[in-house]
Amino acid sequence: MAAVSNTVRVPMGDSADVALAAAGDRQAFERLYRTHANRVFSICARMSGSRVRGEELTQDVFVRTWEKLPQFRGESAFSTWLHRLAVNVVLNARKSEAKQASRTEESDVENDRRDEMSRAPLHIERMDLKDAIANLPDGARKIFVLHDIEGYKHEEIAEMMGITSGGSKAQLHRARLLLREALER
Amino acid sequence: MTNSNMTCEAFDAALPNYLEGTLAEPLRTTVAEHLSECVRCASLVRDLEKIQRDAAALPDLVPSRDLWQGIEARIAAPVIPLAARPERQRRFVPAWMGIAAAALIVSTAGITYTLTARSFQKGGSAVASVTPPTPQNNQTQSTGGSDSGATQNSTTATPTDIEATNPQRGGGVSRIARSTAPETRVGTPARLASQGEESEVVYGREIDMLQKIVTQRKSQLDSSTIAIIERNLRIIDAAIEQSKTALAKDPASRLLSDQLTHALDKKVELLRTAALLPAST
Repeated sequence: MAAVSNTVRVPMGDSADVALAAAGDRQAFERLYRTHANRVFSICARMSGSRVRGEELTQDVFVRTWEKLPQFRGESAFSTWLHRLAVNVVLNARKSEAKQASRTEESDVENDRRDEMSRAPLHIERMDLKDAIANLPDGARKIFVLHDIEGYKHEEIAEMMGITSGGSKAQLHRARLLLREALER
Repeated sequence: MTNSNMTCEAFDAALPNYLEGTLAEPLRTTVAEHLSECVRCASLVRDLEKIQRDAAALPDLVPSRDLWQGIEARIAAPVIPLAARPERQRRFVPAWMGIAAAALIVSTAGITYTLTARSFQKGGSAVASVTPPTPQNNQTQSTGGSDSGATQNSTTATPTDIEATNPQRGGGVSRIARSTAPETRVGTPARLASQGEESEVVYGREIDMLQKIVTQRKSQLDSSTIAIIERNLRIIDAAIEQSKTALAKDPASRLLSDQLTHALDKKVELLRTAALLPAST
């Protein structure tokens, strides 16, 4: 425990809880969860385009955080590390979902229906930005969320998603145009 | 088309970099001029910049329920620590005891080899068998009784298993033996019985000697190791008894014969292993 608290350098506020949680203190980890849950949920829900899926992914993120916390060395802010972890969990989940979906046609149809339902705007009269983002195509939505909401650079997005920086720029522009179109209706 | 000599299509192509702020001169000035003159493109830029601003200002979403319970349940999976190996006291074991044990092993192995080699010279390989339980079949009755188990040397020899005819059972099989010797069909029941007795003596002597060694070494071995050995010996003895009983009822069964041989071999093997175990520290 002492070794962990000596090596972890995090901003004030989270630092004690991060060190305690890394050493296995579940109460400290719960405090970290309470502090960051909404932010992580926002990333997960917006990137996946579904609040329900976002909740599942948020749980996955915090379980993964618990597992990986002893490896956190405080080279960046805990929140930065956590958000990056959340993005990776969402991206990896999507990859495994895509693999699974390609194996069974039935699940593909089911996923599409679920996605449609989860992305359906709550109010028909005018779609707001939140709903319009949820209705974007998967790739464009992720890049829009990462760039315009989460503030990642194209180079970082390209690295995380395994695409080129130019590809990220092109998808972002497409996403913005689609949003404009959706919001103008 | 405007006075800036830039088409809307050219503007659209330059727009992503313009919004990113990565547009180099002189194209940037040209775009700015176009924007000041083209309502359509100016409106587009205004809308896209508003989307950017609004997106950056979006408030955090709140989950519909508390997710902590699900997380806690997943991270609270119990981790069962491995029990620490108890510290055992190192005991002094005289070197002569180890040498004596090794010598006994060598001697028992030598006896086994001598007797087995003799049996091979008579024409077969050692197998376990029992004589059939029928009292009429005097030729096949062994000295051990109808359900006694023993190994014997086969005088019958084929590449596969050999069957010896039992006249009392209407040409049925009285015993089964394994051998890799050339194919011959010899082996009368009487001879097989005598070979069975000889094999029984071989196994019996070997087992007795090994058991004596193991008994002498009990004080040197860990009590849990001894308990395991004794438990396994009981299992093997039970298997030997079952095989003998079953073989007495069905002397023609190759499976049962093999099972009995296998069980006796296992007993010798286990006792040898136990006799050679290093003393516990």
